[in-house]
Amino acid sequence: MSKRNNFIRRSLMGVLSFLKESVFADEYAAKKGFLQSLDPRIKIITFILFILAILFTQSMAGSLYLYAVCLILAYLSRVSIGFFLKRTWIFIPLFSLFIAIPALFSVFSPGEPLLSLNMAGVQLIITRPGLWGAALFVTRVIASVSFAVLLSLTTKHFVLLKVLRILGIPQIFVMTMGMCYRYIYLFVEMIENTYTAVKSRSGVNIHYPRGQRVVAWNIAYLWVRSCQLNEEVYKAMLSRGYSGEPAVLNDFKAKPKDWLWLSAVLAMFAVNRLAEIWGIYG
Amino acid sequence: MDNPIFELQDAHFSYLGRYPALRGIDITVCQGEQIAVIGANGCGKSTLLHILDGLIFPERGSFKAFGKELKEDAFNRADFSRDFRKKVGLVFQNPDVQLFCPTVKEDIIFGPLQLGVEKGEIQRRLEALVGVLNIGDLLDRPPQQLSIGEKRKVAIASTLIIEPDILLLDEPTAGLDPQTTRCIIDLLIQANESGKTIITSTHDLHIVEEISDTVYVFSPEKKIIKSGCPHEILADEQLLRDNNLLHIHSHRHRDKSHIHPHTHLEHHS
Ligand SMILES: Nc1ncnc2c1ncn2[C@@H]1O[C@H](COP(=O)(O)OP(=O)(O)OP(=O)(O)O)[C@@H](O)[C@H]1O
Ligand SMILES: [Mg+2]
Repeated sequence: MSKRNNFIRRSLMGVLSFLKESVFADEYAAKKGFLQSLDPRIKIITFILFILAILFTQSMAGSLYLYAVCLILAYLSRVSIGFFLKRTWIFIPLFSLFIAIPALFSVFSPGEPLLSLNMAGVQLIITRPGLWGAALFVTRVIASVSFAVLLSLTTKHFVLLKVLRILGIPQIFVMTMGMCYRYIYLFVEMIENTYTAVKSRSGVNIHYPRGQRVVAWNIAYLWVRSCQLNEEVYKAMLSRGYSGEPAVLNDFKAKPKDWLWLSAVLAMFAVNRLAEIWGIYG
Repeated sequence: MDNPIFELQDAHFSYLGRYPALRGIDITVCQGEQIAVIGANGCGKSTLLHILDGLIFPERGSFKAFGKELKEDAFNRADFSRDFRKKVGLVFQNPDVQLFCPTVKEDIIFGPLQLGVEKGEIQRRLEALVGVLNIGDLLDRPPQQLSIGEKRKVAIASTLIIEPDILLLDEPTAGLDPQTTRCIIDLLIQANESGKTIITSTHDLHIVEEISDTVYVFSPEKKIIKSGCPHEILADEQLLRDNNLLHIHSHRHRDKSHIHPHTHLEHHS
């Protein structure tokens, strides 16, 4: 009985602390590295340029080169490379499952057969263009995911939201994102607190069915609570003068270093495009 | 002094039409007054403050603000709405509700930014408040990660920065340590001396005398049962006891323990 209950509690707590660590940690954003020192507006623009460059690239060498740039940036920004690789490669199986693996096979990429598999009576042939295409695809995905992850790791969450607003993303979208973020945190805390409270009242060994009820009750409670909170928060916003369009304070300042960085990335982008067009990468 | 800002007459309010929260309230608030609202849990103090802040509107009875009947559609006019929000500020009872921005700094400047206060002025007010409340270290942190007392200080700052003429405070000192409580009370006294109107709801009888010249006592029936000057109200033990406002403490004297109610006012300096 108590084992199963322990399991619920442990896995729930595990999920919660994972959520907190991965979504809410901003230890890397607080470090003093290269990317952290840039004006966030310019940083975001240059990262969009990098990702565009990857999308335009048709060659393996081009994408590998951009991926290398990303890893160097991560290193310069004091992001632990081991942690960074784990963070980014975790996305690969997801993408490959849906896109890269079907592309391996002759049905989608006809060409010289490399390997044939016989699965459940269906003949599957892996082709050379298929394999090459899949490898290229994976490289491009990993490079763009890496840039996206690097950006979010080295930029504080609220700064990112603010820049989105300043760059003209509709406020309703940004505001909702910000609020979700904030209240998810509050709810994680609330679930944790409820658990501690239940534990302190009933001892460590909660009866399993009761433990289950606590979980169910929690979810119902959170739902009601979130509706109520919304209404109250709305009142609090009204009370301080909110009238449908929140103003943001644009207090970022671009330094010469930022402009230098922007020009460097623009130059790199241009060179990359030209190399691609002239076929230097082969 | 007798320039009425708020006039409530026979105001009724209930949540969702089912849960009564106020049952016939009459209050007149004049410019520069200091008012305390005391009463047990659930007697309607927060509801009253929300009405005065123009967030909810009485179902029955009348509510006049600045000499005019206040109705919900008045707030559809941008100029009226902005004017009212600049003049009246509310510190919510639950700071989690009041703090909704990603960082403490953004939360504090949310009000003046919405109300179109000029940037340099916002910065000046922010620096002054941060100094007084000693919250400089918190500015870049997300509000949800603060302690309850810190949250409350930030919530108070986020209302004070609007520099409203009328300050509504819903239990502003709950959960604060003695020194911070002192600092808040001093702020309120100072604000009142400079002509601001202050309306505070509280359970803390210690602070009532300092922050008010009129006290309204709410009964569990969600009505005002008595009003008067703080001396008079605090001396009326029967009234306080009937309305759950008296501490009942158990003391041990040598080997004998006995229980007696007291108001803590004797510790008051
Ligand atoms: N959102 C709501 N929905 C339904 N009923 C509510 C709601 N908010 C308050 N009430 C009810 O309205 C009454 C008055 O509530 P109010 O919050 O004004 O009390 P209060 O005097 O501020 O209490 P406290 O000292 O606990 O803060 C209570 O009986 C409460 O149950
Ligand atoms: Mg209340």
